[in-house]
Amino acid sequence: MIVPVSYYLVLGAILFSIGVTGVLLRRNAIMVFMSIELMLNAVNLSFVAMSRALDSLDGQVFVFFVMTVAAAEVAVGLALIVAIFRSLGSADVDDAHVLKG
Amino acid sequence: MTAEQVVFVLAAVVTLGSALGMVTTRSVFVGALWMIAVFGGVAALFILLGAGFLGIVQILVYIGAIAVLILFAIMLTPRVMGDPNAPRYNRQWPLVAVMASALASLLVALVLRTDWPLAQEGAPTITGFAVELGKGFMTTYILPFEVASVLLLVALIGAIVIAREE
Amino acid sequence: MAQINWAETIWLLGPEVILTVGALVVLVVDFVRDDDRGPLLPGLTLITLGGAFLLSFTYLGLDRTALFMFEVDNLTSFFRILATGTSVLILLVSVDYVRSRSRHAGEFYSLLLWVTLAVILVAASSDLILLYLSFELLSITSYILVGWLRDEARSNEAAIKYLLYGAISSAVMLYGMSLLYGAAGSTRLEDIARTFSDPAVRVGTLDELVLPAVVLMLAGFGFKTSLVPFHQWAPDAYEGAPTPVTAFLSVGSKAAGFAVLIRVFLTALPMFQVDWAAVLVAFSILTMTLGNLVALVQTNMKRLLAYSSVAQAGYILMGLAAYVATDTSTLNGIAGVLLYLVAYLFTNLGAFIAVIAYEQATGSVSIADYAGMVRRAPWLAGALVVFFLSLAGIPPTAGFVGKLAVFGAAINAQLYYLAVIGVVNSVISVYYYFNVVRQMFFMPPPAEGEEPVRYPQAMGLALTVSLVGTLLIGIYPQPFLDLANVGRQFLAMLPFA
Repeated sequence: MIVPVSYYLVLGAILFSIGVTGVLLRRNAIMVFMSIELMLNAVNLSFVAMSRALDSLDGQVFVFFVMTVAAAEVAVGLALIVAIFRSLGSADVDDAHVLKG
Repeated sequence: MTAEQVVFVLAAVVTLGSALGMVTTRSVFVGALWMIAVFGGVAALFILLGAGFLGIVQILVYIGAIAVLILFAIMLTPRVMGDPNAPRYNRQWPLVAVMASALASLLVALVLRTDWPLAQEGAPTITGFAVELGKGFMTTYILPFEVASVLLLVALIGAIVIAREE
Repeated sequence: MAQINWAETIWLLGPEVILTVGALVVLVVDFVRDDDRGPLLPGLTLITLGGAFLLSFTYLGLDRTALFMFEVDNLTSFFRILATGTSVLILLVSVDYVRSRSRHAGEFYSLLLWVTLAVILVAASSDLILLYLSFELLSITSYILVGWLRDEARSNEAAIKYLLYGAISSAVMLYGMSLLYGAAGSTRLEDIARTFSDPAVRVGTLDELVLPAVVLMLAGFGFKTSLVPFHQWAPDAYEGAPTPVTAFLSVGSKAAGFAVLIRVFLTALPMFQVDWAAVLVAFSILTMTLGNLVALVQTNMKRLLAYSSVAQAGYILMGLAAYVATDTSTLNGIAGVLLYLVAYLFTNLGAFIAVIAYEQATGSVSIADYAGMVRRAPWLAGALVVFFLSLAGIPPTAGFVGKLAVFGAAINAQLYYLAVIGVVNSVISVYYYFNVVRQMFFMPPPAEGEEPVRYPQAMGLALTVSLVGTLLIGIYPQPFLDLANVGRQFLAMLPFA
């Protein structure tokens, strides 16, 4: 490989950390959700890089399923956000305090 | 610098830059656009890594479906453009920045230190083409494949029950 | 590539096939018929669950792998029995609850069957890919079930918080899995064990990947089993979810988490026990203690049971943390975990059933409103006392036997301090359980609520079953001990243990 696999893995690690930052930092539920997608993309990148380096198909298969799960999660998550917005009028995670937390 | 290296650097810059843009922007909508750029960068990286099928699926599913769904949700809820008076970050943002940097350093160090068991140099035996993955889904990975379809069915049912107008 | 013998596969996956077909039939019947309030749908669900439950007993003693990734061994059989049994009881109590509060009873029953399937799949996976998918199937179905009461703000809120928390922890878990994959070149648990059995690997840098990978994966496994600090979704989710779903989360979902812990740590990483056992001991202590301390100040019954549930997870984890690989007696820790799970099933479900019954009749889950329950619902109050005795670990109940098993395992592994902390925590828990008993027996009931509490027959049946189970295990534990031991025997068939 011309570009060594470790470069991709480092990229993945940094992207993962940026995603974690978004999760911890942002208050809007949709923003947190998008940061989770960053984390998942970082993991996918790592899996594909390893799949190439180890010459193993498992990594790519895993990524395919991670994408499937991510899509399903987004569908359910956004259905819930629509429902919660109907009840509360806000998508701000911190505003949601019907439950004690 | 070969073409591959140039593309890698470009894709890496786009991916990380857009990711940073996404977590720092005030407007959720603009954040979604940055996110699409990240997905595009990752798709390019997949193709560079020889996972052609996954690169296309990334564009179709992540950009074409997930990002679009997120944009729908953003449009359906208010404060789309961001209320300039609302705080956008949690109060403890310096702490978060420190923790995230620490995490990044740890992971990067871990990844760089390890002697990954690389396969022999030479032509790789996996192609990343749909054919190969498809055969896998019908043989070795058939059970995960079926479970994935159940998962999608359940998500469908759930999303409809929860979100539909009644 | 080995050819798949389909006839054999369908037989090996019998209970799962039954659950899938049943779930699909329920969906179709619900779609075809307009009126989903009759006994047909619950009846179909019950038949499906019952069939799967009974069939699961026929696989005891096997050690086969179906479709390359689904282990049909004693551990799977144990969890098949546990999962289907749990869901039968949950079904009995959800019929009325769902009928009165939701427009989509049919879909609910179908999801109940799918979620049961998910628990079994999680327990049987021997490959990280199937494990992750089953785990997420369980999670996503749970998010939906928690948010089922779509018109109630607290249900929505509970579900979205649960989802966000779950998605984050599963992304972290995935990162850990990617490290293991990179080290082993394969996602099969066996291959990971094979890689790390090679002495040449143990002195290289790949070894150093394991502890970070374990910690990362524990984010996901800990989330499911509500270990501290991954438990924070539990109080809100338990409080906001429809109470039958809460009951399922506290037993079924948690059981799946423990199944994963057992399978992953013992199949893939047995040689790192020194490392992960230490981490688990720390989590066990943290979880028991924090769960109990916060439970002390709760005024809402569901939140109290949520924190109590968190603390119970700490006790269960003790069994795994105290696992002694060379010990094949009942005190080796794994049998303790399995036995505790069975005991906990009857006890915790029973407590929730009583809460649901009272909630249906009075609309309240506030502990203050439990005042004088002994006059309005003596049977419920009495049952709750037994369940609390069991949760606190006082004989002659199932909880006592379970605690004996895990504390015994800790002593057997010479982790004396762990057992002591467990006992101290059990003593602390007596305070908050008996606070509720005091309310029920010694406080005067509110002025208007003098009429007796009525609850449906199905609920009464489920309550009775739980009560009998709780007392039976306490008085005559041998059959359940045998079941736990049988479950444990899968360890003998592991190639790299």
